[in-house]
Amino acid sequence: MNYVEWLRVRNLLRLVAIILAILLVLAVVLRISVSRYMSPDVWVHQAMMHPGVKVTHVTLPDGTKRTIMDDPSQSTHAMIDDRGYGGSHIVITEPSSRAHKENSNVNVGSIHVIESQNGAMTTTVVDTNGAVPMIYYMLLADIVALIVATILAAPLAREIDGHLEITLTKPISRVRFALGIIGADVAGIIAASILTVLAFYICQLLFESPRLDFSGINARAIAMGLACPLAWYAMLCAATTWLHRSYGAVLGFAWPVAILVGVLSIISTNNVVALFVHDVAWTLSRLDPLSYVSFAEPDGHGLLTYSGSNFALRLSIQLFLFVAYGALAIWKWQRVEA
Amino acid sequence: MSTITISNLRKLYGGVPAVDGFSLEIPESTVFGLLGPNGAGKTTTFKCMLDLARPSGGEIRYDGKPLVPETFERIAYVPERSVLYDWMTVNEHVEMTRRAFASFDPARAVELLGQFNVDPRKRARALSKGMRTAVMIAIAFARNATLLILDEPTSGLDPVNQRHVLSLMINEAAKGNSVIFSSHQIGQVERAAERIAVMDRGRLVLEGLVDDLKADRKIVEGIFPDVTFTLDGIANDARVARADRTERIVRLLVTAGADEIAARLSGAGAVGVRVLDLNLEDIFLYAVAPATATTDVVVKES
Repeated sequence: MNYVEWLRVRNLLRLVAIILAILLVLAVVLRISVSRYMSPDVWVHQAMMHPGVKVTHVTLPDGTKRTIMDDPSQSTHAMIDDRGYGGSHIVITEPSSRAHKENSNVNVGSIHVIESQNGAMTTTVVDTNGAVPMIYYMLLADIVALIVATILAAPLAREIDGHLEITLTKPISRVRFALGIIGADVAGIIAASILTVLAFYICQLLFESPRLDFSGINARAIAMGLACPLAWYAMLCAATTWLHRSYGAVLGFAWPVAILVGVLSIISTNNVVALFVHDVAWTLSRLDPLSYVSFAEPDGHGLLTYSGSNFALRLSIQLFLFVAYGALAIWKWQRVEA
Repeated sequence: MSTITISNLRKLYGGVPAVDGFSLEIPESTVFGLLGPNGAGKTTTFKCMLDLARPSGGEIRYDGKPLVPETFERIAYVPERSVLYDWMTVNEHVEMTRRAFASFDPARAVELLGQFNVDPRKRARALSKGMRTAVMIAIAFARNATLLILDEPTSGLDPVNQRHVLSLMINEAAKGNSVIFSSHQIGQVERAAERIAVMDRGRLVLEGLVDDLKADRKIVEGIFPDVTFTLDGIANDARVARADRTERIVRLLVTAGADEIAARLSGAGAVGVRVLDLNLEDIFLYAVAPATATTDVVVKES
C-alpha cells in the first residue's frame, strides 16, 4: 500500500471520524432531550385523563411491564408491553371508522406496523424494536463513501502535479505503484463506509437495542453499497488521470454533471429535440456507475425489494466499470512524463 | 554502479528537439558536472536518464543494461525544483523514503537534516526554498545510493550549505560512488567536479577532465599596431578553436601549442603577445557563447 496515499486517506478518515463524532454528540443530546417521551407511560398517562378509561398495570415474569387500557366510550382497547431498552409491543383495537381504511404493513427502520381490518374493528400492531434492514445503514454509508471517493479520486493526477520525480524514481514498476495507490484509496472508501455504519449503529444503540437484518435484499444492499462508490471512484480516477491538468475541475463538476445526465436520461417527452437530448444523456449515463444503482421500495408485505430488475447484472456492471476505469487510469499513468 | 552510457539521445517536445543526438559516457566513482545555458537540455537529459521522460531516440545504459525499476534502488535523484509534498512533514518524507528504499538510512537523514538546520517536524509548506532543497539533499545522501543525480543541488542554499553540499558530493566520490550534477554556479563545478560536459541546444559541445580542459586551453592574445592586419592563416590552424577580433586586438582560443601560436602571432606583426590561462567559466563561455566571452563578434578567418 502506498505510504503517501495512505497518509492522505488517513487524514480524510480522521475528518470523517470527526464529523461522525459530532453527529454522535448531537444524537446523545437528542437522546437526553427525548428520554421522557420514549416511555409509553407518557401517553398512557394522557389517555388516563379521558373519563371512563380503565388502565391496568401488570408486570410479566420476564420483567415486561404490561399496560392494558380500555376506553368503552371509544370502543378502544390497547395493550402495551414495555420492554424498556428492548422496545415496545403495542396492540390497539379500535373501530375501523377511526383507523386506517385499508390493511397495511409498514416497516420504517426498527418500527414495524401491521394494521388489519376485521369487520368493523381494526387491529394495529406496533413493534418498536424490529430488525433494522442493513439497507438503511448502507444508504447512509454510501453517501459518505461517495463523498470520500470523490475527494480521493485524483491520486495519480496529484502525483503528476509536481511529484513525479519522487514517485517514478522508486524501485517499483509504474503499474505496481498505481495499484498500491488505488488499493489505499479503496481501503479508505471501505473504511469510511464501515465507520459510518458503526457511527449510526452507536446512534441507534442510544435509543434502542438494535438488531440488524442482513437477509434478502440487505445482503445485496451491502454488495451494491460497496461496489458503487468504488466504480464511481475508478471513473473519476480515470478522468482525473487523463485530464490531470484540470483534475480539480473534474472533481468539482463530477456531481453536477452526473446529476444533470441522470435527470436528462429519465425525462420522457414527445418533443424531438428533448428526445434527442434524452437519448444522448441516456447513452452517456451508461458510463456512470450511479445509473446502475437500484432503489429499494417496500412490497405489498412491507418488505423492501429492489425496483430495478436483474441485480446480478447491475452489480456485475459496477464491478466491470471499476476494473475498466481503473485499467484506463493505469494505462494513462504508464505514459505520463515529468 | 559504474559506467553510464548515453548513446545518441534525442528528445523532442512538439517536434522541437530539447536533446539532439547527445552521447556521453560517465565513468564510475566520479563527480561529473553537466553544464549548459538555460534550455540547453540538462534537465531533460536527467529526466531521460531516469525514465521520467521517454527518449525520442537513442538509449541509456547503466553498466551496459537498460534502466529497470530495480535500478532505482541504487540511484538517488534531486530535481531542480521542490517536489516535496507540501502537506507532509519532513519526518513523513523520511518515513516515505525508508519504506521505498531498502538501503536508506533514516538516522543519517536525520543527522544531515540537523546539519542543514531543518526541523523534521515541520511541514514542507512551512519551509523556505533553500530548506526544501536541503531536505531533498539530505534524503538523497542518506539513500546509500551508488549514483546520485543532482539537478542544481545548491539552488536556493546559503553559501555555507552550498559548501556543505559540495563536500558531501566529494565524499560520495571518495566512497566509490558517482555523482552527476548540473549547476549554473561554475565556480562550484570547478571546485567539485573532476570531469565535465557542456551542453548547448541539446548537443554536447565539450567534454573532458576539468584539469585537462584547463591545461590544454589557453588564450593567446595579440595586439597589432593598426586595425588592418591579417592573421596569415593562424586562425585556420586546427589547434585554434576560435578567433575573436576587436579592432587592433585578436584573441585566439587554442587547444594546444599555445607558445607556438603566440610565436606565429608575433611573426604576423603583433607588437604585444601574451598567453593567458583559462578558468572553467572561460572554457564554458567559449563553448556555448563566444560572443559573450569576448563581447565581440567571432570572425573565423576564411
